[in-house]
Amino acid sequence: MLNFNFSIDLPVRSEWANVDLLRTSVQNCFTAIFSDIEGCHSLAMVTGELLENAIKYGDWSGKESCFRLKVWGQGRKAHIAVENPVRPDDNGASEVLNILRWIRCFPSANEAYRARLLQIAQGPANGGVSKLGLVRIAYEGDCDLGAEVSNGVIRVTAERDF
Amino acid sequence: MDSLVTGNLRIDTRVGRPSGPIELLWMGKSNDRNPALALAPFFSQVLASACASKLPVELHFEKLEHFNSSTITSIIKLVEDARRSGVKLVVLYDKDIRWQRMSLEPLRVFANDLFELRPV
Repeated sequence: MLNFNFSIDLPVRSEWANVDLLRTSVQNCFTAIFSDIEGCHSLAMVTGELLENAIKYGDWSGKESCFRLKVWGQGRKAHIAVENPVRPDDNGASEVLNILRWIRCFPSANEAYRARLLQIAQGPANGGVSKLGLVRIAYEGDCDLGAEVSNGVIRVTAERDF
Repeated sequence: MDSLVTGNLRIDTRVGRPSGPIELLWMGKSNDRNPALALAPFFSQVLASACASKLPVELHFEKLEHFNSSTITSIIKLVEDARRSGVKLVVLYDKDIRWQRMSLEPLRVFANDLFELRPV
């Protein structure tokens, strides 16, 4: 059996243009490994949504405006993790944990996604914060999501079989 | 009606037959940090034109490479605004492209006389 183990681990400057640079880079890496183009696109989408959340909701008030992206494969599982600083007084981290709990309340990620779409439609006209990205990762990305906060850093991980 | 070009996204508008739909042809990638800033005023203009001319609007995603979840939020707002304005809206996507099917098919929760999903 082929060895599909791999690892990407890099610091990322908190600049919006880096989302697409890394999303496409991850897609190209997966495409080089696997023949499932649609699956590679899906994992790239997961990477993009996690990166967007880190840049949007991270604490970039410090000197170093960097966060960390880790993508690795082990056995038959792909893992994508993003770690970024969060402000102690910001409830963004607890919102992430809350939405992961919310997703798990549904029998399937598909149902959670559809429920989120309806919530967005009923929300304020200016949109507000939809947090649809995490639900999309669970549904379209077919990923198990986890999150932990430690020493002012939130780490969100998405995992799926490939 | 002018096209919209913002970041990596281009939306061309096309009105074909006299009583045919206003077609919005999405191309490239919709990956702005806040796509609503460009999309919301553009959609308002399209809806106003559709209302005045009593034409339906078709969103064509078949050629689009990628959109982020913030774009989906903007599309949902358009679906709601179209319904409130009495404008028929049709979303067309490539059923053979998984991400388009997965992202857009759930919009069927909004299906009614004024909103239709059309896999092509």
